[in-house]
Amino acid sequence: MVWVYDGSMEGFLTLVARSYLTKTVPEKISKYPSKISLFDDLMQIQTEDELVTKLLGTMQQRLDPLFYRRIFHAFLCDDCEVEYKLLFYIRLGLKDPSLLYDISHPIIHAIGSCEKMVLSTLHRMNAFLRFEILQDGTLYAKMEPPRNVLPLMGKHFCKRFSNERFIIHDLKRGLALVYDGRSMQIYPVVEYDIPRHMEDERHYQQLWRCFFHQIAIESRINPSLQKSHAPLKYRLWMTEFMQLV
Amino acid sequence: MQIEEKLSILSGSAKYDVSCSSSDSQRSESFGSLGSTYKSGICHAFSADGRCISLLKILFTNQCIYDCAYCINRSSNDIKRAAFTPKEIAELTVNFYKRNYIEGLFLSSGIISSEAHTMHLLLKTLKLLRHEYGFNGYIHVKLIPGAPEELIVAVSKLADRVSSNIELPSEKSLVLLAPEKSRTKVFEPLEIAKNHSMEQGKTPIGMSTQMIIGATPESDFEILRLSSALYKKALLKRVYYSAYIPVNNHINLPALLTPPPLLREHRLYQADWLMRFYHFRYDEILDTQNAFLDERFDSKLAWALRNLHFFPIEINRADKETLLRVPGLGIRSVHKILYVRRQKRLSLRDLENMKIPLKRARYFITVDGVIAAREMRGYERLESRLLALEKPLPHFQPTLFDQLQSISGEI
Ligand code: SF4
Repeated sequence: MVWVYDGSMEGFLTLVARSYLTKTVPEKISKYPSKISLFDDLMQIQTEDELVTKLLGTMQQRLDPLFYRRIFHAFLCDDCEVEYKLLFYIRLGLKDPSLLYDISHPIIHAIGSCEKMVLSTLHRMNAFLRFEILQDGTLYAKMEPPRNVLPLMGKHFCKRFSNERFIIHDLKRGLALVYDGRSMQIYPVVEYDIPRHMEDERHYQQLWRCFFHQIAIESRINPSLQKSHAPLKYRLWMTEFMQLV
Repeated sequence: MQIEEKLSILSGSAKYDVSCSSSDSQRSESFGSLGSTYKSGICHAFSADGRCISLLKILFTNQCIYDCAYCINRSSNDIKRAAFTPKEIAELTVNFYKRNYIEGLFLSSGIISSEAHTMHLLLKTLKLLRHEYGFNGYIHVKLIPGAPEELIVAVSKLADRVSSNIELPSEKSLVLLAPEKSRTKVFEPLEIAKNHSMEQGKTPIGMSTQMIIGATPESDFEILRLSSALYKKALLKRVYYSAYIPVNNHINLPALLTPPPLLREHRLYQADWLMRFYHFRYDEILDTQNAFLDERFDSKLAWALRNLHFFPIEINRADKETLLRVPGLGIRSVHKILYVRRQKRLSLRDLENMKIPLKRARYFITVDGVIAAREMRGYERLESRLLALEKPLPHFQPTLFDQLQSISGEI
């Protein structure tokens, strides 16, 4: 049987709770709306806040905070298999919390790697994000990260720009993190207008490109090293790699 | 002169200074509302040479009254000169910072009219940034040797890190190539800054220096001995090594177009790392007989090959310090091993599942008494086996273009 949930963390935790209640595990886990074969045997999971709260309570109580956090991080890795492994991971941990220390176990190792991928994407995204300054002074950045790191990015940028207003827009997932100088929230974005920049924006982008090219030492040019640090998939919205139109 | 042209001249001149990192800021007070410092540093971009860009690295000016032989900015060179104003630097820094291009500023300078005057201009820039613009990001400043004490103290109070470059690893070379400088003179401002922060009972401000490699005949042994002494005195947090790229014709310097000794520089960084994090002493890594690092192997592997009596090491029993001496095992692998070892005895399979890199390490460890490199009985032919594992390193050729750029451009 394929279990289908809405793709949210809450939805997934409901699914885990359901698995305990029904004493079964699914053959496959799918996000709603996704390509599901007509002939698959489906079970729809509706998010139930009460189940979520209860499960979270148990997890928090029983698991090492390190592993508790790891579950949330690994979930954001957007890999089609991760939910299934996480279900196993949570069940294993709730049965006997000490089992999760054995990183030579393939699934436990896999969840560890998922977390690592998410955190490394987060680290890169925090560094490679490029803001443009809009007419009203708001900082605005576009991105398309390979993992869903937006929910983890607020902390860093709220600290960095505590007195500014900023928007981080994940074009790939249609989400935007908005900070108004006091509080922050993530919204789904369906449609948006092309924003108006402040007058100097072009000028500073040009100065940055100038600096970026100047700082490289000719006799050390090494594109493959550059590529391994700044992979192509991140470059799309990086000012220094953008083509001038 | 347009700001873009200034930026182009004065960042081109600063690029050979390698201390770009923004890490290790321990500043407790805050200067304003724009920005924060992040404890492990952030590389915001990677330039075409693959190096990390973390800071807006520029010279205040490339004018200089000194005449150091290895520097393109030396007074006797006929090159285009430029100077920023404090306000221009502040605007650039803040605007780059807000766009998330950089973590902060790295400010250095040639000597314009006098040491005191130059230091004063740098101080003015820092005051503007910290007090007027409320900039709270990272700032690294080059101190100007010979500047008055009160200016050095004032600058250090506003910066996250200060440095002063020794440039040449021995006094003899300094006399020959940079007659206006001496080791005492170069370190004097660092001593002042350190003593001052100690008097205030604060954690001392982070300090670093840089040495040019390959311009003068000093051996790696002499270089590491100097670094080790500097770390011991706790004067410095980092010593940076910079492969020399010839920019001037001079009888006491390598000819123009001599390739920079990049591999040597790389090996020196590895050896430095062994001293700072793996508790190796400089005279374990090299000695007067072996005064140069083996360019074929990384420094730990080279050490292991000269000390085979230390191996093999039992992975289920060895302590942390010992594990760290196994070639191929880094801090992370060692922690993983110690961590899982608390739960169970490790088998070779477990090590593989944990993704411990065994390519080199397996020759130096046993797992439950059995040597991990199964095909091996003794240590004969070990060196050639290991050599076969090394990737050929890319070869670098300087281009004519490099002569147009400056080598160091700061004190
Ligand atoms: S190294 Fe520094 S002091 Fe010496 S000439 Fe160059 S800029 Fe001037």
